[in-house]
Amino acid sequence: MIAALALALAVAQTPTTPAPLPEVLVDRRLAESVPLKPGDTVRVRALAGRGAPRAFVVAGVFEREADPNRISRNEMELRFHLPDLQALLPQPDRVDRFALVLERGARPDSAARWVEGVAFGTRAYGSAALADQASATFRVVSRFHDAIGIVTILASAIFLLCVMIIRVDERRRDMGVLRLIGVSRGTVFRAIVLEAVVIAVAGSAVGAGLGLIAARIVNAHYAAVYDTTLRFALVTPRIVLIAALLGLALGIGAGALAAWRVVAVPPQKLGER
Amino acid sequence: MIVSAFLKSLFRRRGRTLLALAGIAVSAALLLDMTMLASGLAVSFGELLGASGYTLRVTPKGILPFDSEASIDDGAGVARRIAAVRGVRAVAPVLGAQFRIVRGDSTGAPVFTVGIDPRSEFLYRLDSGRQPGPGELVVSVPLARDLGLKAGDELALAGELDVTLGRARATRRYRVSGVGDFLYDYAGEHSLAMTLPDAQAATGRAGSVSLFGVATDAGVADDSVVRRIAAAVPEVSAWSTRQLMGEMDKRLLYFKQLATILGSVAMVVTALLVSTIITIGVRERFGEIATLRAIGVSGRRVLLAVIVEGLALAGLGCVAGLPLGLWMAGRLDRILLSFPGIPARISFFAWEPRRVALAMGLVIAIGALAGCIPGLGAVRAPLAQALREEAE
Repeated sequence: MIAALALALAVAQTPTTPAPLPEVLVDRRLAESVPLKPGDTVRVRALAGRGAPRAFVVAGVFEREADPNRISRNEMELRFHLPDLQALLPQPDRVDRFALVLERGARPDSAARWVEGVAFGTRAYGSAALADQASATFRVVSRFHDAIGIVTILASAIFLLCVMIIRVDERRRDMGVLRLIGVSRGTVFRAIVLEAVVIAVAGSAVGAGLGLIAARIVNAHYAAVYDTTLRFALVTPRIVLIAALLGLALGIGAGALAAWRVVAVPPQKLGER
Repeated sequence: MIVSAFLKSLFRRRGRTLLALAGIAVSAALLLDMTMLASGLAVSFGELLGASGYTLRVTPKGILPFDSEASIDDGAGVARRIAAVRGVRAVAPVLGAQFRIVRGDSTGAPVFTVGIDPRSEFLYRLDSGRQPGPGELVVSVPLARDLGLKAGDELALAGELDVTLGRARATRRYRVSGVGDFLYDYAGEHSLAMTLPDAQAATGRAGSVSLFGVATDAGVADDSVVRRIAAAVPEVSAWSTRQLMGEMDKRLLYFKQLATILGSVAMVVTALLVSTIITIGVRERFGEIATLRAIGVSGRRVLLAVIVEGLALAGLGCVAGLPLGLWMAGRLDRILLSFPGIPARISFFAWEPRRVALAMGLVIAIGALAGCIPGLGAVRAPLAQALREEAE
């Protein structure tokens, strides 16, 4: 069993001794920053421990899983065989948690209750419950993003409505002339709404393109900041579809409001300044 | 007169102006919120750190407060050495541990417990009762409320559980001496405080301390005391509030950068909105401007009037955006404060007058700049052509 814990590297790269030493795996980022390679010997002391540093041989370098839960601390890691790590810590024979693989057909809930009954004071979680608990932070971030999204949509809607009203106001005389030569209110209304929809959809398309570029920049930036393969911004087909539909809805709404200001006025008054 | 005539034109198209103002207000509100968010948590955290008067933290070497189980050995000796450092007014030792409350045959979830020096009032404020003596506890308000505890009640705590025998091990009984408002607890958190020797004895960590809170003399710079502590006690790390805020900033880099990106987007939207409105407005009054120039009004005055129009639009938008932004900040804060483990006293949005003034000043400057381009276009257009177009 392998346990991971952040430790202080007391001395790095002392010459390898002929006596067999316990092995340790080193986080790729730590290996690069020290630097370390397989075969090197390191002396390690636990920050929580009181013992002297112990020597370990670097058995390999590993790439840490891209885990969003740990990105803010982004600590470097070493991985030991469990008894080696326990020997470094002040309280021997202790573990933080066990991972269990159940037999085919076993029910996670009843297995969890059985474990809790047998091992007093433990809590057993199914992987779904654990994932749900671990994602609490991201649910909050997601709610925050939703709220910001609503404000952004509101600002976009106002902007679109403003543009449409200005465009329609500019052409009030033309609209008046069209009405006077017999073009129906409905046709004028539909023409303005169509124009708004075209502007909104075109804007959404450009926005999706900008979003793709922005997502790439954001991901490249955070990949460099955190040295991670995690992706912070994703533009999925669903998001593009939602943006397009929102653009369409906003376009229809803004166009209808702008058009109403024109068709509600008698055509002879549309030429007035 | 020219300026007031231009300003009146904003009211001529009331609906359009109101819409533009609404757009600018929303953008200004978003910019205000992002400005407040960019530094909010760090500022709020800094205020919380210094709330008890202990502005420095001393931890095991290389570790942030309560970031690991590491502790400082010979806490009493280290405390004496820190207290001897010039500029140190008081030293408050703390040992963090987890205990379980035992009631009958059952035990509850782990409760964060601190061993403290009752004279320090470092981590909590007493709500009722008195500071704990030997064998006594102060319980947090939510714990007292949920378990119906009050001063004088007894509470059994277990430091360990015997997994195989299915019972609490090393159970000790304590008397509740008071109820406290714990400064760093998240909403509804159950916490306990006992004397440091009691905590050390119950956890079997004699002489250990997780961290020290250090209060400095008035007028002494925290950073200089931090340097002196680091020199006098090299086996520990000393942190000033500024340094801890810096560490907090690193962990919250995402929010800071998100705030920068969204703030920039808000500014672009404001610029687009104001420039669109002013550009169209100027284009509509092209002939009017040409007539003014033809009767001898200088281009500079016309340009000034257009700029003032943009300024007025952006300024009014800011006035409307300020309360909207504060309201939005309150709502967003409520969302973000549901982060697990965030102290209830923290706020993600901090009102810093200088930064807020800068943000609003930026919006107004954008308004002025947005007026410059169409204004310059209008005063540079060939006069004869502009007048002919107006006549047509």
